[in-house]
Amino acid sequence: MLSVLVFAASQLLPGNIGRNVLGPFASTNDVNALNHQLGVDRPILVQYVDWIGKLVHGNLGMSLEYKVPVVSLLGPSLINSLKLAAVAFVLVVPLSIVGGVFAALRRGRLPDRVITLSGLSLTAVPEFISALVLILIFGLLLNWLPVTAAAPADADLVTQIRYLLLPSLALVMVLFGYIARMARAGTIEALDADYTRTAYLKGLDTTTVIRRHVLRNSLLPTIAVIATQMGYLIGGLVVIEKLFNYNGIGQRIYTAALNKDFTMLQSGVLVVGIVYLSATLIADILYSLLNPRIRYAGVE
Amino acid sequence: MDWQTRGRLDEVRRAAGPIENTVIDELLGRKVDRRTFIQRATVFGLSASAIGTVLIAAGCGPSSSTTTGKVGGRLKMGIIPPPAHDIEPHTFADQGALETGSIAGEHLIRSAANLKLVPELAVSWGPNSDASTWTVKLRPNVKFQTGQTMTADDIVTTYERLVSPNSGSQALSAFKGVLSPGGTTKADSLTVKFQLDNPTASFPYLLSSTTYQSIMLPANYRLGTFTSKPQTTGAFKLTSYTPGVGAKYDRNPDWWGGRPPLDGVDVTYYTDAAAADAALLGGTIDLIGQIQLATDRALFNNSKIQIFGGRGATHRQVPMRVDLNNPLKDPQVRQAIALTLDRPAIVNTLFSKYADVGNDTPWAAVYPSSVGEPDVPQRKQDINKAKQLMAAAGFSNGFSITLTTEQTGEIPQLAQIIQNSVKAINVDMKLSILTATAYFDGSQLGPPSGWGNTPWLNAPINITDWGHRSVPNVFLTSALQTNGVWNAAHYSNPQFDAAAKAFIGAISIDDQRKYAKQAETILLQDTPVIFPYFYNYLAAGSQSVKGYYADPQGTVFLTQTSLG
Repeated sequence: MLSVLVFAASQLLPGNIGRNVLGPFASTNDVNALNHQLGVDRPILVQYVDWIGKLVHGNLGMSLEYKVPVVSLLGPSLINSLKLAAVAFVLVVPLSIVGGVFAALRRGRLPDRVITLSGLSLTAVPEFISALVLILIFGLLLNWLPVTAAAPADADLVTQIRYLLLPSLALVMVLFGYIARMARAGTIEALDADYTRTAYLKGLDTTTVIRRHVLRNSLLPTIAVIATQMGYLIGGLVVIEKLFNYNGIGQRIYTAALNKDFTMLQSGVLVVGIVYLSATLIADILYSLLNPRIRYAGVE
Repeated sequence: MDWQTRGRLDEVRRAAGPIENTVIDELLGRKVDRRTFIQRATVFGLSASAIGTVLIAAGCGPSSSTTTGKVGGRLKMGIIPPPAHDIEPHTFADQGALETGSIAGEHLIRSAANLKLVPELAVSWGPNSDASTWTVKLRPNVKFQTGQTMTADDIVTTYERLVSPNSGSQALSAFKGVLSPGGTTKADSLTVKFQLDNPTASFPYLLSSTTYQSIMLPANYRLGTFTSKPQTTGAFKLTSYTPGVGAKYDRNPDWWGGRPPLDGVDVTYYTDAAAADAALLGGTIDLIGQIQLATDRALFNNSKIQIFGGRGATHRQVPMRVDLNNPLKDPQVRQAIALTLDRPAIVNTLFSKYADVGNDTPWAAVYPSSVGEPDVPQRKQDINKAKQLMAAAGFSNGFSITLTTEQTGEIPQLAQIIQNSVKAINVDMKLSILTATAYFDGSQLGPPSGWGNTPWLNAPINITDWGHRSVPNVFLTSALQTNGVWNAAHYSNPQFDAAAKAFIGAISIDDQRKYAKQAETILLQDTPVIFPYFYNYLAAGSQSVKGYYADPQGTVFLTQTSLG
């Protein structure tokens, strides 16, 4: 279904592939000949079957603009995006959950208000603003962190992480408010639940109640939210990747769309779609592991 | 003048042909200044020693300044935007590609600062009596990075590819009507003859890096292999290239020019000006190939940054279709629109001090052939006259029109300025601002096949970016002459065509200015295109970058650049 959607969407884009490759001065005959050679003058169904057939054998085709295999460009970009997503994930998930739970435990008091208000405010700031502010403060004024995300080719793991910190912080600013709010709401709901009162009544201490009963239930919606953000973290960071000049898959797809590099565009969108579906699947598995009711629902 | 100087001058005169002697007479007769003389003398192939002799004879002796930079280090350079296509020199059409190719590539002649021509792979060149045939002597013992020795065969093959209508060459617009297939021939292993379609006094500029597609490659060069194997003659070898990410160059140990100061160059591509600016300010890169005041203000007036400026003829054109059935068909209306613009204010807003005011002709102030005031009056804002012209044309109540343009540099701001300016004559201008890709999309076959369907050659009024040229010939032949391949105004005036043709063939500066005046006067009357300004090509670097020259054409020339 995903492949059909991606292929159909790319067919809707305006522009003649042959004209785009050969340039504006090429004759109509040459353009038609190239379109025939590329097979883009065939019926759409035939093109789709051909495309998906090659795809399942790992053949993503040749980039129309750069005349090199798509996989040679998309592969490194995907790896870069996964690296950035991983660093951002490691920073934002614990921070947001701790912030959300802490705010819930101090419901209505100053810490709750500070966390909720600052989270919402940061979420409301467009990422290109927050990224520029971070570049200005930590990159240019304090000179603590590199202003680009791409580390030198021979950089070790620590250096690579250092280069990814600033764009990751920009993502933390975007996502913190959203995830922390979900964690807070889930925690408050769990704190008010009957089973929490029962746990207290049977004599458990607060730490045990929070760890064994509250967190386990409160994190369920948070996990679902985090899973939906994985697609964005890997394929939707065009602005962040542009500002930190990072060769991620988002920028590759964006450039392919601008240059009408259809083979690159189709493959890129499909890869992001697969990543998104995988993240959702992992979230579902985690969900069922944490929530026995889901796990046993299928058995019943 | 003492007898020794006189003797040396006579020797130079005897060795020179009639055209070269005309150029010498221009300096001795005080018709041109020292700088213009050097420009013109290099065009006609006078040697450096001959130029020095003439300058001494004229009482304005040669000056030379050589700077020796620190040897070693790798320059980290930012290029914005990345090449849009694969790197193939004869098809270069975008900034990223030409900057990438030019770091490794060389041309017969280098167009240097102040439009001076410097020998590169050619050691000398000269015309016949009417400048219809040019003979170029090649530098001996030049090796391609493949190990082959450069000969005339390589030059003939490269030029035949550049002028072939079937090769996808983007240099066709420059050579149209000047050099055709079969016009480049080998005289001997180190001599090439160019038989031109028409006399062209400025032909050496077309042989220079101004035609940035003319990077010399071996005769057996295979298309599509430019980035996979080093095979140019330049001081740096392209050793790795990743589309959209970057490129690496290492010093060429066999370069004919000796050892350049830099060990190598590491290029990073940027898609966003703010990212490139931050990288330069943060010390991640040393140099940005091209910047603009409108998009890179953070770099100006910053003590850590030096701005490299190259005064040139880079500009925007505002063509108005003369052949559509709308008010723009009337030259009075086109004049009225041009008269609403406050050009000094536009230049100040968009470029500060880094631009010259335009006068609705392609003769930028930087050209020696530019006539200027009082012979050709500068067009200034005159709302009353504009209103009178609109009334005379029957449009005192104005009209509505859509201006189509591209999202490039300061162009959207210029579009808004024009939109606001024409309100004074009741013109309701709507703006259609497209991405550059969409703006140049479609076919543009050029006459006689028509102008295709691309927006930039078919919109009623538009704004298009034009790069620098060392002489205005391409602007005349492509954008303004009848059936010009990029004639977006669809303008046609036989008197203008004749004046432009005479200008291109004129050898003496007096004749060039005579025909330029004729052409400029016609253009001011007809106003098919508004030329609001000509702006400087700007690059920015850290203070450690020495010996860099910002080429108005956009090529990157690093053989004399060093770090510290």
